[in-house]
Amino acid sequence: MIVNFLTYLRERPGLLKWSFVAYLVFAIGFDFFADRSHAHFWGDHLVGFWAVFALVGCLAMIVFCKGLSHVWLERDKDHYDK
Amino acid sequence: MTSSIFMHPATMFIVGALLLPLAKKMKIQKVWLVLIPLVAFIQIQYLPESFGKVDWLGVELHFGRVDRLTMVFLHVFTLMALIGSIFGLHVKESGQHFAAWLYVAGSLGTTLAGDYLTVFIFWEMMAFASVFLIWYRKRKRSIEAGYRYLLVHTFGGLILLGGIFLRYQNVGDLTFDLISVDHATVADYLIMIGFMLNAAVPPIHAWLPDAYPEATVTGAVFMCAFTTKTAVYVLARGFAGFETLTILGAIMTLYGVAYAVIENDARRILAYHIVSQVGYMVCAVGIGTEMAINGASAHAYAHILYKALLFMGVGSVLEMTGRSKLSELGGLYKYMPYTMIFTVIGGIAISGFPLTSGFISKSMIITAAGNNHQLVIMSMLLLAAVGTFLSVGIKLPYFIFFGPRDSGLKPKEAHWNMQVGMFMAAFMCIFLGFYPDYLYDMLPYAVHYHPYTSYHLTETFHLLGFTGLGFYFMVKYLKPHDVSNLDLDWFYRRGAGWFMWFANKPVSSTNEWISNVYKNIGLRLTMALARALSWFDWEGIDWALDGSARGVVKGGEQVRQFQTGKLQHYIGAAVALLFIVLIVVVLV
Repeated sequence: MIVNFLTYLRERPGLLKWSFVAYLVFAIGFDFFADRSHAHFWGDHLVGFWAVFALVGCLAMIVFCKGLSHVWLERDKDHYDK
Repeated sequence: MTSSIFMHPATMFIVGALLLPLAKKMKIQKVWLVLIPLVAFIQIQYLPESFGKVDWLGVELHFGRVDRLTMVFLHVFTLMALIGSIFGLHVKESGQHFAAWLYVAGSLGTTLAGDYLTVFIFWEMMAFASVFLIWYRKRKRSIEAGYRYLLVHTFGGLILLGGIFLRYQNVGDLTFDLISVDHATVADYLIMIGFMLNAAVPPIHAWLPDAYPEATVTGAVFMCAFTTKTAVYVLARGFAGFETLTILGAIMTLYGVAYAVIENDARRILAYHIVSQVGYMVCAVGIGTEMAINGASAHAYAHILYKALLFMGVGSVLEMTGRSKLSELGGLYKYMPYTMIFTVIGGIAISGFPLTSGFISKSMIITAAGNNHQLVIMSMLLLAAVGTFLSVGIKLPYFIFFGPRDSGLKPKEAHWNMQVGMFMAAFMCIFLGFYPDYLYDMLPYAVHYHPYTSYHLTETFHLLGFTGLGFYFMVKYLKPHDVSNLDLDWFYRRGAGWFMWFANKPVSSTNEWISNVYKNIGLRLTMALARALSWFDWEGIDWALDGSARGVVKGGEQVRQFQTGKLQHYIGAAVALLFIVLIVVVLV
């Protein structure tokens, strides 16, 4: 049953994409109503601060780590056996 | 005294392990494997505050010190022993279970120890027992990784022991209690380094991602739970409030997650991610406030369960397909749907989804950093949370169970006992999310923290949602490749190679060259010298001593001529001599 449901979803990437977009819109909408009385710093007062933080952080992390791996850290899997 | 030894939960596991072969013979190994951890899990609730004090060579060993900090760790350790043993029920080799239980016993012994010597004994027992969980994989790589693991831990153990001896010399007391930051000496820092090695704090962390992916399927489930979290316990017990730990812990969270983003082997991703997660706890121990210590304990509790769940999920895939590399997997949700669901639960719990255990534990540490006005630390922890969801929450399940391509594998669903183990851990992940007070009531200090505030929810919605968006943008770029990445184990793996090269090449060839020189020149020179000396002895000294030596030789030669070797000549000569003697006697 779960398998069929997931296969059904996988065959409809458009549906998945739009539900995801709907979730993001909901998340930003929710941010307007959050109680900010326990804020730790200025960023906590900005609507959507953590959205930007997450997106920029995520992209930067992927580019940085993958790049570092590519130019420096990457070796054959039996590197130490040679 | 005798009774208090039997009270110790480690005894339960040691005796249980010793009787395992008997249980196997009686065909009750499976029952035994469930029974012992279950009894231990119940038994720890009834431990007195202090037991098992033994006077040994003038040193007081304290085997049982129980307080709230001990209890929360004991609780999750015994629970994990139960889950891990159930997950490993199908393993027929008693040896693996034996090693796993001794390892658990070491961990419980360390947690209960009230003095440094007892800590050390159980600490080494953990290292020694756990290496067998790697070796039982029986592949060449595992044997090698096991030796490296053992050497690194022996090194750490020696630093710890050195610190303990120095401390004894300084203080004259081995009681294991909180050390004040202001009065910490070299001895205390040595002890801390010994502890940090087991907590996999960079730069002494590389043993973990080197060894864990090479362990057996069940072995890795045990190992991910005990070594690092026991280290977190001893750090929280002895070194709360050391700022070094705050900084190193925050670095750990990012270091581990960075490797988790780029690695290909699923179990290596999880192993690196342990470094990241333990970083939260080490950081919290360094912050050292009541809330932070609560956070470290809560996070250790939650982490053991979801990390073990992830190791069980990935281990099930490895058990059923023989593969653990993301580049060789994909599309397995059709064949292993339950494993997929459990792994995803582990993934969302570790990422801190609302209504899972990560949401209620990780946030305590982040809030503790925020309350302490350590904003840089707090941002690092939050960035690591982004990386966590990216690497373990999305990337790992996506490339194993879904993925851009189907691997073509058609494995069977995991064994029933593996599913039961995963179910138990998954249940706890969700249960703690719904009912955090179950965990909060166990914590060392009273909890004044409510995870389900609207602000925490919106922060989490954003962090998770927009990390997901980042993944969606970059999924092609994240496609795993079959490579390995350098880490700091390079220093001792390449270092050992260089040492061997140095021993083989320069040292050995110099040695050979010197022996050739000796053979060709030295030996001839010696022989010539010997001949010259002999000539000198013969001609020079003898001439000086009036040729007496030459005379003796000449005389000897002449005497030799008399000796014919015929018996009648000798008898004749003897008779002739007798006559001469008689004549002399008679006539004179």
